Amino acid sequence: MVNGYQVNSLKEALDIRSREAVVPYAGGTDLMIKSKEDAAYLFLNKVPELKNIVEDAEYIRIGASCTFTEIINSALTPAILKEAVIQIAAPAIRNFGTIGGNLCNGSPKADSALILFVADAKLRLMSADAERVLPITEFYLGRNKTALHTDELLVEILIPKTGLDNYYYQKVGARNALAISRVSFAALLNVVDGKIENCSTAFGAVSDVVIRRKDIDAMLIGRTIAQAKAVKADYLAKYDAEIVPIRGRVSTEYRKSTCMNLLKDFLESNGI
Amino acid sequence: MKETIKFILNNKEVVSTAKANERLLDVLRNEFRLTGVKCGCKEGECGACSVILDGKLANSCMVAMGSIQDSTVITIEGYRDTERFTVLDKAYAAVSAVQCGFCIPGMVLASECILAKNPHPTEAEIREGISGNLCRCTGYNAIVEAIGIAAKEGNGLW
Amino acid sequence: MEPISKSVKKKDHEPKMSGRSLYVDDLAMDGMLYGRQLHSAKAKARIKDIRLPKLPEGYYVVDKHDVTGVNRVAIVLNDTPVYAEDTVEYVGEPILMVVGPDRKKVDQILNEIVVVYEEEIPVLDMKKSDTVFFNYNYEKGDIEKAMAEADRVFEETFQTGYQEQAYLETQGLIAYPHDGRMTVRGSMQCPYYIHGAVSKALGYDTGDVQIIQDVTGGGFGGKEDYPSILACQVAVAAAKVGKPVKVVFDRREDMEFTSKRHPSICTYKVAIKNGEITGMDVDVLFNGGAYTTLSAVVLQRGIICANGVYRVDNLRVHGRAVKTNTVPCGAYRGFGAPQTFFAVEMIMDHIARDMGIEPLELKEKYIVKQGDSTSTSGEYHFHVPLPEMIERMDQLSDYRVKSKRYQNQTGRYRRGIGLSLVYHGCGFTGSGERDIIKAVVRIRKNADDTVEVLASNADIGQGLKTTFCKIVADTLGIPLERVLIENPDTDLVPDSGPTVASRSLMTVGGMLQRLSEKLKKEWKNGEEQIVEERYIEPDFIIPFDIGKFQGDAYPTYSWSVSAIEVEVDTLTASNKVLGAWGIFDVGVPIDMNIIQGQMQGGFLQGIGYSSMEQMDYNDKGVIRNNSFSDYIIPTSVDVPNLVTEIINNPYTHGPYGAKGAGELPLVGAAPAYVEAMENALGVSLYNAPFTPENTMKVLQEVSK
Repeated sequence: MVNGYQVNSLKEALDIRSREAVVPYAGGTDLMIKSKEDAAYLFLNKVPELKNIVEDAEYIRIGASCTFTEIINSALTPAILKEAVIQIAAPAIRNFGTIGGNLCNGSPKADSALILFVADAKLRLMSADAERVLPITEFYLGRNKTALHTDELLVEILIPKTGLDNYYYQKVGARNALAISRVSFAALLNVVDGKIENCSTAFGAVSDVVIRRKDIDAMLIGRTIAQAKAVKADYLAKYDAEIVPIRGRVSTEYRKSTCMNLLKDFLESNGI
Repeated sequence: MKETIKFILNNKEVVSTAKANERLLDVLRNEFRLTGVKCGCKEGECGACSVILDGKLANSCMVAMGSIQDSTVITIEGYRDTERFTVLDKAYAAVSAVQCGFCIPGMVLASECILAKNPHPTEAEIREGISGNLCRCTGYNAIVEAIGIAAKEGNGLW
Repeated sequence: MEPISKSVKKKDHEPKMSGRSLYVDDLAMDGMLYGRQLHSAKAKARIKDIRLPKLPEGYYVVDKHDVTGVNRVAIVLNDTPVYAEDTVEYVGEPILMVVGPDRKKVDQILNEIVVVYEEEIPVLDMKKSDTVFFNYNYEKGDIEKAMAEADRVFEETFQTGYQEQAYLETQGLIAYPHDGRMTVRGSMQCPYYIHGAVSKALGYDTGDVQIIQDVTGGGFGGKEDYPSILACQVAVAAAKVGKPVKVVFDRREDMEFTSKRHPSICTYKVAIKNGEITGMDVDVLFNGGAYTTLSAVVLQRGIICANGVYRVDNLRVHGRAVKTNTVPCGAYRGFGAPQTFFAVEMIMDHIARDMGIEPLELKEKYIVKQGDSTSTSGEYHFHVPLPEMIERMDQLSDYRVKSKRYQNQTGRYRRGIGLSLVYHGCGFTGSGERDIIKAVVRIRKNADDTVEVLASNADIGQGLKTTFCKIVADTLGIPLERVLIENPDTDLVPDSGPTVASRSLMTVGGMLQRLSEKLKKEWKNGEEQIVEERYIEPDFIIPFDIGKFQGDAYPTYSWSVSAIEVEVDTLTASNKVLGAWGIFDVGVPIDMNIIQGQMQGGFLQGIGYSSMEQMDYNDKGVIRNNSFSDYIIPTSVDVPNLVTEIINNPYTHGPYGAKGAGELPLVGAAPAYVEAMENALGVSLYNAPFTPENTMKVLQEVSK
């Protein structure tokens, strides 16, 4: 029984993925916590096609095997993503933990996932003979469940280049380092010519999946700041009804209060 | 699929017969008898098992052998023969930063990584650099001070 | 600074810094087998059956049937089984051990064993326990009169939680039989405690048991009694299989199943008449867990500290340690004092605010002075330096100004500052040193005129190897390099007592100083000599009656003033420590860097205890916080502004003036931290740890 596959190209990786029951391993910093005796890992840490950070006309494109440290050090990384990733765990974890691993874990606490939700990022998934691009909201199906098929690999993350400058981000953990998020919140607001062109919010670590409600955020889109203020109470009331946190290391009340406080602060800090 | 894993351990090329899914920590301690690499939690949460892997600080308990083919690994056993270690050694001794010692091999390698990246770090940068290395004895102050002294006395070594 | 305080390079710096030091898990022996315990999955049950799989060649199961002596671990009383008998009393209780050459196979066999339990209803809440392990009462003055005549009685209840020692090196021991003897070596604080326990469990003559301390990666009290239990188990296993057996706990196992700090509930009734505090009536309840282990002694210290640093002429203290079906609690730095000091400091804060005055103003009126009577009608024989320490603290932290300024804040970020005054009674409580420990220490002078210190105290990071040798070298007038010390081996060193109670430096160090003076007088160049010293109780001590809790509980006290400043973010209920200051009187530091390191480390552990170190069990008695990701201890970036200062206040009966130091820095952190939170939030608080969860509840209520 072969106990692992080391590959140096994406093609090789996808071939093995299509044939064998393997566990994709990019950095190992989550997988190795509960390493199973018979796990057959597909080692993706040295696959060059998965290690690029580039930009094209629309997106910043980050390879799934890029480590958090690499993401922090890249000039192309949007500030909001950098701010979230720099607060993950501690240096040794960031040196080897990858954005791909962070996402494929399927956890609502994933710090990078939160940012990708609020930025409406897309994920490129590939199999040996097919490829698809999914909005991140369709990638997460439930707690620790993703849409990744057993013959697929997450290859690339596509983050829209624009609209990320005016951001709000807060991670709430138990201490200042090595802290798993207990509540996290990210938001974007784009005001162009006095009108809100985009309002995007996301709440992490409080539910089975990151909470992203484009329908509620849409209440503010197209409005002026003053008009947004007028519907603020309604907007907050909708989130108040829709955010139903689950109990974890902290209570649902704590999570709920923190979420609503941060949401209000985001609005207020933008004059709403 | 290679049956063995070849890598450079403390500047020597070695071959391990470990399985690809085995932990680097266990291989270093058991196969290579490098007991300076400590196990504090086996979950990547304490840094006692820190090594320098491909030039970066790593928790060896979180590294599967199959991921390090042709990589370089430095443990305290390799690092302690360097001139840089001598500077850190003197600095840590000057402020008695070593208490029970269990976190120390990891702290020393973390110190190296801080200074390799930035030979003149601020205190905040030093603290950030060891933020993944838990210490229960010292309260961290003496270790932080020691790294600062090493940076001053380093004399161009970093 | 006294000359002795000048810092030196630690004796064990080199091997630890270079990674050469061998801790127990670094050791391997020929034919060594690995052992792992099967822990009870139930909090309270009868064991109906244990179904073992067929064991492969070379693999064994060790249990109560294999105990050749008494199936009890001698720790104060003898109720802890070596291996469980008919019942299990807590989740984690060791039922048996699987031993074999391959660790993975041992784990596999362990997972195949089926224990059939007949579950009973566990008692998890200490308030609901009806088994009182220990019940103590003491009084002084006339509390009934004070209560009857009071204008008002202030009554409040305080709670403190578990604390896990979280030493970086988990528990581990190796036992190996040889020539009819048994040797146990590994991570420990008290070789002779283990020696006694293993002799009884095996039924061996004490001369046939040898205990060796290996380099130990932290203890903090967590390796005071637990290693005795593990040692008995490993020794019984080694005796059965006739080979070396090593057991090293993994982190989750260690966090869930080994001893912790006693949670407490303390109720204080304080009589006030004409604006004066005239009496205190205190009820102390400690959660002892499933077996007695060290609860008697922890409770004793806790209740002795009940009235804190204050002169209270009419005092009544009632203390109980009760049984619950949870992990037995034991020693952790502070040993009962952090719990009661938390309560008394908080109630003084509350009384002050109720009176409309600043907490420090009220406290200063009642601080004891030299000559005053202690809680147990002993005496404060020596100068109490709190007033000058308070002034210095105010200089350092600007406490008085900030405490006023921070009242009644609004806005997103709210600051607060708190200050506590505590002591730590130096050494073993009461006459334990004289009547139970009876310490003996030796120095051997070699023919080459080097000397070796022969004591059973363990260096667990606190620098004993260095400080013991400094005392001897300086007294003899020889270079430090010519004074040698090894980790204690009971075959080679006498019983100078355990490494507990902040006694090693003061008591054993003091004996070493006297012994060195003796050796100096008797010194013969080129000859091998051995000199010995026995403990002599200082002559000023008022004898302590443990039945009545009367007399000098401690010969002297170390004092501290702690201040902590916080900033609360009301949006997330999380907070930052803006400053943490500790001023400590430990007599004279035998080595300044070593003492500073102890103060900083202990203070940070105390801050963890106050804030992030929450541990709890679920309704099945299972501790949920069983890993470093769930039991949160401070990292290097959590309190970057921790400042410690030492004052000089020589103790006439300590070596070079030294007093007990190790535990002091932890004791005052929790009340300082929680008072700071009160200052920030504008409400009275009653529990530690005080977490963001607690903060959010307060913020919600305040905003209603």
